[in-house]
Amino acid sequence: MQETRHQFREDLKELERQVLGGLDLVIGQLDRALEAVSYQDVELAAMVVADDDRIDGRYLEVHQGILSLLARQSPVAGDLRIVAALLHCIRCIERMGDQCVNVAKLVPLSGHDSPKDKETLDLIERMGQLARSQVSQSKDALKTRNVELAQDLVRQDAEINRLNRSIFKRAVEIGDDLELREWGMFMILVARCLERVGDNTVEIAEQVVFVVTGLFREMADIGTSPEAARSS
Amino acid sequence: MSALSLPEVSPRRRRTDRIMRGMLVTATIVALVPLVLVIFYLLKEGLGSISGDFFTQDPSGSFFGSIGGVRSAIFGSLEIVALATLIAVPIGIGVALYLTEYGKDSRFANVVRYFVDVMTGVPSIVFGLFIYISLILSHVGGNFTAWKGSVALSLLMLPIIIRSAEVVLLLVPGSLREAALALGAPRWRVITKVVLPTAAPGLVTGALLAVARGMGETAPLLFTAGVASGLTFSLGQQMNTLPLQIYNDILSPRAVVVSQAWAAGLTLVGLVLILNLIARAVSRRSQVA
Amino acid sequence: MIPPETTSKEQTDMSSAGGPISDQAEAAPDLSAMGERRAGHGVTVKGLNAYYGAQHAVKDVDIDFPANQVTAIIGPSGSGKSTVVRCINRMHEEIPGARAEGSVKLDEIDVYAPSVDLTAVRRMIGMVFQKPNPFPTMSIFDNVAAGLRLTGTKSDNLRERVHRALRAVGLWGEVKNRLNQPGVGLSGGQQQRLCIARTVAVEPEVILMDEPCSALDPIATLKVEELIDELKARYTIVIVTHNMQQAARVANSTVFMLDGEVVEHAPTNDIFTNPKDERTERYVTGKFG
Repeated sequence: MQETRHQFREDLKELERQVLGGLDLVIGQLDRALEAVSYQDVELAAMVVADDDRIDGRYLEVHQGILSLLARQSPVAGDLRIVAALLHCIRCIERMGDQCVNVAKLVPLSGHDSPKDKETLDLIERMGQLARSQVSQSKDALKTRNVELAQDLVRQDAEINRLNRSIFKRAVEIGDDLELREWGMFMILVARCLERVGDNTVEIAEQVVFVVTGLFREMADIGTSPEAARSS
Repeated sequence: MSALSLPEVSPRRRRTDRIMRGMLVTATIVALVPLVLVIFYLLKEGLGSISGDFFTQDPSGSFFGSIGGVRSAIFGSLEIVALATLIAVPIGIGVALYLTEYGKDSRFANVVRYFVDVMTGVPSIVFGLFIYISLILSHVGGNFTAWKGSVALSLLMLPIIIRSAEVVLLLVPGSLREAALALGAPRWRVITKVVLPTAAPGLVTGALLAVARGMGETAPLLFTAGVASGLTFSLGQQMNTLPLQIYNDILSPRAVVVSQAWAAGLTLVGLVLILNLIARAVSRRSQVA
Repeated sequence: MIPPETTSKEQTDMSSAGGPISDQAEAAPDLSAMGERRAGHGVTVKGLNAYYGAQHAVKDVDIDFPANQVTAIIGPSGSGKSTVVRCINRMHEEIPGARAEGSVKLDEIDVYAPSVDLTAVRRMIGMVFQKPNPFPTMSIFDNVAAGLRLTGTKSDNLRERVHRALRAVGLWGEVKNRLNQPGVGLSGGQQQRLCIARTVAVEPEVILMDEPCSALDPIATLKVEELIDELKARYTIVIVTHNMQQAARVANSTVFMLDGEVVEHAPTNDIFTNPKDERTERYVTGKFG
């Protein structure tokens, strides 16, 4: 026997699939942007910029789908929370896509054969891995409605914030070297984009907790508290 | 894609339809013929005797000379039936109210309903006999009197009124009673201010039909109201009535008297017809509202 | 309980000509016509059990209906919601074979106390039904006055009370020129508002509504909902509804009932964004019909 509101349930599942797919797109963009930074690959960076259209398109699709669902199906309770969360999440996805584009745009600017500082690059790479795993974990948390996974993202984000500050300090250190100075400043900007990606995954985590518990709590941004700054 | 087509009616079905229709029309005609004949004969035999004297003179009862009219019979019928109505209608509506508002589906109420149904089937002469035995032979309040005739007629009219009133009262939507009760009205006010006014047209129709029936009954009056010929307005005396007048006159050897009997019959039918028309007009007015 | 006179406002209202602006003003429900604001009284139901013969329709129900608020009761058919409401004004016992046990208190007054006058209870707790049921034999004016007349309330300012009630429900502008016409001549939505005026004219403390908009078209529904929103300033309102969106729009708090029991009772916002009970979630999202 067909479940009641069959079409509605199908539409809602489809919207969720699209959002999860959006997260996959972000992971792909992030991987390629980081590779472009590591190897100074300008062509790869250009592809990242072009492919952002797909993420923007996904945003519009989900947005339209949500409007339609709200107008025609009057979702309430748990369904309403999912719809609100999906709208929030797709905006985070769009923003993360934009951050990847920002990273990619910095690649040609930082020069083709400029000297590189291994320590900074290591830190950037570590930060990139962390950001990538956070996006992947946020996808899992959303898909399985897992509150523990969501809360764990906050812990991981603290690490990203710490790396961000480390990169900044390192860039200041290498600033004395005139050849490395400009490159170092671009790396600061890259780090900042990655840090923003991390923040967006925390927002997605907040939405997961909201869907499951019905309570919306801002997860403390431990990175900016004075105690944390002193400890790093 | 094939075009739609509707099948045609088979000739066998057409034939069956025609036969059925023919049979029903025949049945209708067969039923109407006696009715038409009755009216025809009444008019043929009785119209001649209708005159001014007919309505203004009492029957003289003599073998020779003027036969008079049937004035006392007309008045008598009207009076006796009026009294019977006054007795039967309040009691009948009261019983119907009890059955619909209080008794409802209780055992006692169902017993009452059963007895009422039985009473509708009792031959009218039995009512006359009952009154004869209980009131006449016991010499209560006089011998043969008009009011005893009214009592007999009221017994006849009672079950008709009860049954029709119950049907009409049940038609009053329960939601109206509910609304009145929910406003905080005591039950008796719900009945008097909501149920009765709403059912009124139907109740009137039922009462008029009972009255029409009562006007035409002969048997109960035979042993109760007696036969008089003079005009009297006192209900404590014997009184003349149209049915009895007809009963007397139809066997008379004088042809004019027989003719007058037919005319009296015509008058009786006329009175009943008028009452029925009034009943219909009242019920149609209530439907329009 | 008669509210203080608001003579100056009455005079200006009654003397204004029927221009477009004043018509619009008269079309909106104007509860200030009933007098100054007054605090309502809440109802507390405790341990309520109700039966239809052997069938246990309401099982140990506890609900608090706060004063001057709208509480909605939702649930599938047969969940007992209408029964609960009918136990509050003791209409449940009008059904043959039905009985109720438990405590229903209007403030501190126990509605089921043996010494209590049933009609007084129903005067204080009014009811509006699913199908509009104006009295068909009465005019618009008489319908609104019916509550006062049926309860034998002596009222020297009857006309004023009727006009006030009609203003309060926003019907005045539409009917002021035809108060003598039959109540049943109005449209469905107007009839329902007429029934609400009839209830309000008696000045109850609580108004119970059993699916008041089920028989109305969407626009009439919205007008009644707007009226309900205004009415809670003076009365405590309990509304039973099949339409969840209506409960969501109209009620301060919502009770979800299933199989004769209360499953959840919470502020409406919580029920429709984050219900605590799994069964409430399933009903409200339509996962079971």
